[in-house]
Amino acid sequence: MEAGTIVAGILTLAILSFLYRDNPVYKMAEYLLIGVSIGYVLVITWTNTLVSLLFEPLWTDSNLWLLIPFVLGLLMWARFHRKTAWLSRIPIGFMIGSGAGVAIPAMLYGRTLKQMSATITPLMDSSGVPDLSGLIVIIGLLTTLSYFYFSREHKGYFGGLAKLGTFFLMIFFGTTFGYTVMSRMSTFIGRMEFLLTDFLRLTN
Amino acid sequence: MKRLEARHWTFLGLFVVVTITMLLNIKLEMKVSPYTQDMYTYIESLPEGSVLIISFDHEASSLPEIRPIALAVLRHAFKKGHKLIGVSLLAEGTLIGYRLMRQTADELDLEYGRDYAYLGFRPQYIAAILAMGESIQQTYPRDYLGAPYEQFELLNTVENYNDVAAVISIADGSLTTHWIEYGQARYGVKVLGAVTAAMVTTYDPYLASGQMYAMMGGLRGAAEYEKLIERDGGGARGMLAQSSAHLYVILLVVLGNIVYFVSRKQGGGS
Repeated sequence: MEAGTIVAGILTLAILSFLYRDNPVYKMAEYLLIGVSIGYVLVITWTNTLVSLLFEPLWTDSNLWLLIPFVLGLLMWARFHRKTAWLSRIPIGFMIGSGAGVAIPAMLYGRTLKQMSATITPLMDSSGVPDLSGLIVIIGLLTTLSYFYFSREHKGYFGGLAKLGTFFLMIFFGTTFGYTVMSRMSTFIGRMEFLLTDFLRLTN
Repeated sequence: MKRLEARHWTFLGLFVVVTITMLLNIKLEMKVSPYTQDMYTYIESLPEGSVLIISFDHEASSLPEIRPIALAVLRHAFKKGHKLIGVSLLAEGTLIGYRLMRQTADELDLEYGRDYAYLGFRPQYIAAILAMGESIQQTYPRDYLGAPYEQFELLNTVENYNDVAAVISIADGSLTTHWIEYGQARYGVKVLGAVTAAMVTTYDPYLASGQMYAMMGGLRGAAEYEKLIERDGGGARGMLAQSSAHLYVILLVVLGNIVYFVSRKQGGGS
């Protein structure tokens, strides 16, 4: 058996031991996971980002434009000293400004306009047969929006619409919860498969 | 020794259910859902040699679920003779993506640089997606192993998304949304999602609106895909355990409700 498999098996059992109660073995595995993850991300960031995108082109190819992000990056460190902390606002302002400029139109288009247009579909096909799913989508949209409309009391006819909206919301929450359970079970099953197959070799 | 509480028995029950069903080693007969079928049909219908970007947008913690999904898609794409370019928008997914691509490519004796390439991680995913739309070479001057971009036959034929048939985002979070909002909306590249089950409801509206071209979700999606490509990769094996675990959860929910209502009727509260 490979050393990696033995280590992975022992660490998996150590993490699962939390299901009984918190214990030093679990803590050790947890700290190891956090340490290794951060170390790995640091190495990847150094080699794949700082070295290959900044230092190499700057020193080797003399691409002086890169001095701008380099200086902006250095200014971020200024926040660790009280007297120079204000300097860090420059790169933060740049990041927020450029980030918002890029993200706002994209999100407005992708999450709002395109989604709105997708709900406005013909309620009947060309032969006059009603499209049930299109009808459900439009009823779900309007009643759910009614539930989140707080400028009018949820009473009478409007209250009924809002109540119907809660049913659509519950269906969504139920589906999402079901899929989340499925996802967590898959993770557990994946680890169990590793333990039973590769580590303990109880099955093929 | 601490006395076992209700939650311990719950976990123990789940452990027993999953272990027994896995040791039985029975594969459930799967019915392929339209979602997975669409994904398969798209990759199947592409002309041989089409270039696909595979983006490993996940963390290490979701590997048990991501692995069978990724293996199924990679095996199919490689078998069809497509050229794959691997990238990663999350640092933790970088090495996992590289190993999965190497494993599946080695199964078919494919050559690195000609049949596939791995470019690795880029930070700031929105900036990375937008930059690749202009020039993949400028975004990734070197591949994951540090070799220059222009050294590889495959990469020399790819300038930006115009030379790519589609992006397949293998994700455990919301990163596929960014491929849709920036890659698809701005550059018109087709986006397909191979995502964990927990993310299916997040991407359903994008699929319905046509912003996402196709999607397969979770271990079930992997099992269905394995059936289509007639190749085991861990998905189908886990489905009996998955179904048994779900039945076990349903049983607990029903039992919990019965106990609650009975105790309320008897005036004992919950």
